[in-house]
Amino acid sequence: MSKQTAVFLLLLFNINFAQSNVNPDISLIGTFNTTTNFNEGSPYKGKINFEDPSLEMFINGYLNPYAKASANIAYHEGSFAAEEIYFEILRGLPLDMQLKGGKHLLGFGKINTVHGHAWPFTERPLAHRIYFGEEGLNDIGFNLSFILPTENFFSSFDIGLYKGDSFRGIGGHEHGQEEIHEDEIHEGEEAHEEFELNETNSPVISARLGAFFGLSDYSNLEIGLNGAAGTLGKAGLDNGLIKNVNFIYGGIDFKYKYKPDTYKSLTIQTEALLNHRDIINELEGAEHFVLGDAINTYGGFIFFDYQFNKVFSFGLKYDFTYGIIGSERGINSLANDAGNKTSGISGWFGYYPVEETLAIRIGAERLMFDYEDGTIRDDETMFKMQMIFSLGPHKAHPF
Amino acid sequence: MDKEKIKMKNILVILLLLVFTSMNFGQVKVVATTSVIYDLVKEIGKDKVEADYICRGDQDPHYVEILPSYMLKLRKAELFFKIGLGLEIWAQQLIDGSRNDNLKIIDLSNGIEKKEIPAGKVDASQGDIHPYGNPHYWLDPYNAKIMAAEILEALLAKSPENSEYFKKNYQNYISTLDKKLIEWNSKMKKAEGRSIVFFHASWIYFAERYGLKISGYVEPKPGIPPTPSHNAELYNIIKKSGANVIVMENYYSDKAPNQIASQTGIKVIKVPIAVFGMEGIDSYIKMMDYIINNISGNL
Ligand SMILES: [Zn+2]
Repeated sequence: MSKQTAVFLLLLFNINFAQSNVNPDISLIGTFNTTTNFNEGSPYKGKINFEDPSLEMFINGYLNPYAKASANIAYHEGSFAAEEIYFEILRGLPLDMQLKGGKHLLGFGKINTVHGHAWPFTERPLAHRIYFGEEGLNDIGFNLSFILPTENFFSSFDIGLYKGDSFRGIGGHEHGQEEIHEDEIHEGEEAHEEFELNETNSPVISARLGAFFGLSDYSNLEIGLNGAAGTLGKAGLDNGLIKNVNFIYGGIDFKYKYKPDTYKSLTIQTEALLNHRDIINELEGAEHFVLGDAINTYGGFIFFDYQFNKVFSFGLKYDFTYGIIGSERGINSLANDAGNKTSGISGWFGYYPVEETLAIRIGAERLMFDYEDGTIRDDETMFKMQMIFSLGPHKAHPF
Repeated sequence: MDKEKIKMKNILVILLLLVFTSMNFGQVKVVATTSVIYDLVKEIGKDKVEADYICRGDQDPHYVEILPSYMLKLRKAELFFKIGLGLEIWAQQLIDGSRNDNLKIIDLSNGIEKKEIPAGKVDASQGDIHPYGNPHYWLDPYNAKIMAAEILEALLAKSPENSEYFKKNYQNYISTLDKKLIEWNSKMKKAEGRSIVFFHASWIYFAERYGLKISGYVEPKPGIPPTPSHNAELYNIIKKSGANVIVMENYYSDKAPNQIASQTGIKVIKVPIAVFGMEGIDSYIKMMDYIINNISGNL
């Protein structure tokens, strides 16, 4: 597979160099991280861990005057993966609608559609890790986008239909991790595997209502309401019934940015997510699932990032979520944990010497755990140094 | 009965008239990327255009954020004027975001004699914000005439019923501009051959028009922020060339120029390079007046 991808990449570059007129834009983003944890009892405490550099290749271009196509191929820890492959019809459709189809990052909140290298901070928000997975909400499907007829401000409505794997915690890099876990399953745990939700073909529906307000020449505000609903899987219950295990996500997001000149800007951004889902329990000795009460959990984050002197930025983020960060996904995924909680405080300092061509970030994150059963777990602290290069055509910054 | 009929007839006539007037005397909806283009469009189109612009006068036109509010401006526009030559890397994203498929895009660099077109392969080691040549041609006021002619042509094509009106406004504006050109030429006469340091490479068109020597730039490469080593280099250049002013676009930080000034005694002049870039600068002519008065008065 990776050999094929390499050949594919080579071909692509060849095409690019051979054709001089109609070139897609190609950018390469390289990320190199080192991490250091300061956790009591960790054998690596205080030591620098050099992570494998990862690479993302973004290819995009116009197919014709109406449509664009984009692909993002990522190399991470020895394997290639197509992170995103999609087309967009930008104009010419009735009602000035835009259609996006393929595999792409979902517009649920603001941060999810932004690639990690473009975040001011170094770690994915905790609530995203629990409810979207480590790779964010990235799914296969369609999105329709409409501009609403508000005269004085920009507002839009998006509605999409997705396969739903990323909501169910299937696919992406995590697949690899699951395989490793399977190898590690001990004899006694084998019965565990039988308790899997049966797959469902029913798609997940996701929608967003967004409004953008120009507050002044120098400050802008965007507010979004998000929702998603679907079926996580089918469960064969102990009483012989087959039950759809459903979920609903609701979310709000808010972004404010003040940029008085070329050299300074202040961003304040927050997202909150509400999770409502059916719960099925495994009972000791039972052959099937037992239906439990639906749960309501939530999570979110708020941060500010202050850019000064054009090339420096620093910021702070507070995170809170139900679920324990770093736990293995069980049959019901992490998002089913209605008892335990994780909160986090992180801070960062970024240096961008020439626009986004090079970025160096130093970040620290402290996680605090709160177990329902009273388990005491020490806080965990991790430092990260991140170096990112971006090779390719200059791009304007979206709000 | 008859009365009713007459009433209906009247309403119909009024409706038809309304449709007719809205067709004939409707304004051409124009969006310009910069306020300089906007000003020229207003001079030629006057009240027969509904014009707006994207980049604020006090903002670096190379870096404009993709704001949905800009997309809203472009949504109903018929004509979109841009400087071109890669200045507005942000323009296409705004056009796409507007979803407007009736937008005619006019690149005003078409008729311009372009300068500093890179020979051979362009790469980012040279700073990559002027990859197709220098886009700051509006600072040569003779180019404003070429831009105005291009704008006139686009307005005529869009709204032929107003052709007399547009042509008259255009001619009035050109004759005002011609008088100004004579005035500016004579003011800049004494500057001929003088050396000037500029901040960003915005000034090649202006400098060549008035025979100025560009001894250096505060930016080491176009779009690359000043560095201490480059400042040191500039210090020597200033000593050698005898330049006595640094002319800078007013949206840049004057920290580096002031530092150089404190070491060399050179004078720093901040000027707007767009309309509305400074209090009281509400037209292209006022902007050029300001630039030329400040440069010629300080040499
Ligand atoms: Zn420039």
